[in-house]
Amino acid sequence: MTCEECQENLSTFLDNDLPDDLAASIQTHLGLCADCAKVCEDFAVILDSCREEIPLEPLPPNSQALWCRINNIIENEVRPEPAAEPEKPRGFFARGFSFMQLASAAVGIAVISSLLTIVGARNYFEPTNEDFTSRSTATQTTFEKVLSKVGLIETPQQSRLKRLQEQQAAIEYWNQRVQVRRAQWDARMREAFDRNLNEIDQAVYDYTVILEKDPQDDLSGEMLDSALNEKMNLLRAFAEL
Amino acid sequence: MLMNVVLFFVVSASDAEAQKRFSRTYPATKNVRLRLVNRSGMVTVEGWDRPEIRISANLEAPAASVVPHSLSGTILLDLVRENQGRNVGNVNFEIRVPRHSSVDIETLIGNLSVTNVNGGLVRAIITSEGDITLTNISAGAVDAQNGIGDIFFDGDMHKGGKYRFTSIKGTIILRIPLESSFQVVATAPSTRNIDLGPFRGANMRFFSDGRRVVGQAGEGAATLTVTNQRGNIGFLRR
Repeated sequence: MTCEECQENLSTFLDNDLPDDLAASIQTHLGLCADCAKVCEDFAVILDSCREEIPLEPLPPNSQALWCRINNIIENEVRPEPAAEPEKPRGFFARGFSFMQLASAAVGIAVISSLLTIVGARNYFEPTNEDFTSRSTATQTTFEKVLSKVGLIETPQQSRLKRLQEQQAAIEYWNQRVQVRRAQWDARMREAFDRNLNEIDQAVYDYTVILEKDPQDDLSGEMLDSALNEKMNLLRAFAEL
Repeated sequence: MLMNVVLFFVVSASDAEAQKRFSRTYPATKNVRLRLVNRSGMVTVEGWDRPEIRISANLEAPAASVVPHSLSGTILLDLVRENQGRNVGNVNFEIRVPRHSSVDIETLIGNLSVTNVNGGLVRAIITSEGDITLTNISAGAVDAQNGIGDIFFDGDMHKGGKYRFTSIKGTIILRIPLESSFQVVATAPSTRNIDLGPFRGANMRFFSDGRRVVGQAGEGAATLTVTNQRGNIGFLRR
């Protein structure tokens, strides 16, 4: 099965509406393909939040009368403004810009558009397998360092922080599902889960402490990312029981 | 004393009754693939010279559902999906596969053992606790991951192959031939205990205060990634 076929059928798969054979093929593919598994996970999150009950908004006792009152208030507040006098046409340089200012603006625009073009071209012609979030300051090119200094791209630290927030959100989601299911597990399952979670949490704590002392420690950043992924996988696997 | 003996036999008899055995054999194609997703229990897979797959399982809870599917060259068993929302206890598998099979096993808890397999892929994943033992393996790709537990790999590496071993806490031991050709990134950030054994040499360099080793053996034909978050890594000569 290709990724395309898998992703086309994901929605139906999650609704349990696929024939058994096809569902099994998708299950197999998801076990092997991390990208499709991620798409499936995102789909599941969306479906789950859609299925959550949305509390009905309280309606006023007489909604029609309320709308009439709102309408009246709006009509009273909107007064026709006096027509503005047509502005006399002024010369381009007479608007308050000096020739030097305009020239600087033009040069600025040219530089920025060149930078953007180069970034775009680099991304287009030189796609790398390396995820930028796992990149370190050491592996950044000088060009990338310059771009991160001027704020055109994220620094590895910023990327790490962003990824950390995403991971924490996913962990929170799966943790909630685990808490719902946990009561159904037997004691052995619960103990094994807790032991593993404690180990991972301990690793996460260690890396966090190191990174607080030295935010440039890219290895700890990478390991923190890996430990959080492990935590997410553990929670997800046990949430499916 | 007599009461204890009687009680022992009564309990043993009821255990024997509670156990249910499952056994089935499937004809195997040349590049057959076995995929098993188990909840808990021991899984043993061994390669043999017959062109068939034999799956035997001991079920702790008779209510556990074990339904293998044969899908275009893949034998699939997914006990998590089949038994969702139920406590089914341990299911211990003993599986025989043709040597050239690809083997893909996942379990939540329990030891995994794969022996005498030289297919395209050997994948052994334990989400939480359990040891992984891969013996006499010659596969193009090997992926072994566990939480708490040891990983032992005994086998060789193919040119262009990818080999990944990941653990949270335990010991990872790789027993490979001295003439193996690979590029390695081995990381043990917590213990900093990476013993390169016979592969120690000029082409191996320690980084980040000894937490990581990056290097090459031979021409670097295969890719080897070893990560042990809170345990040790060791290399042995095969």
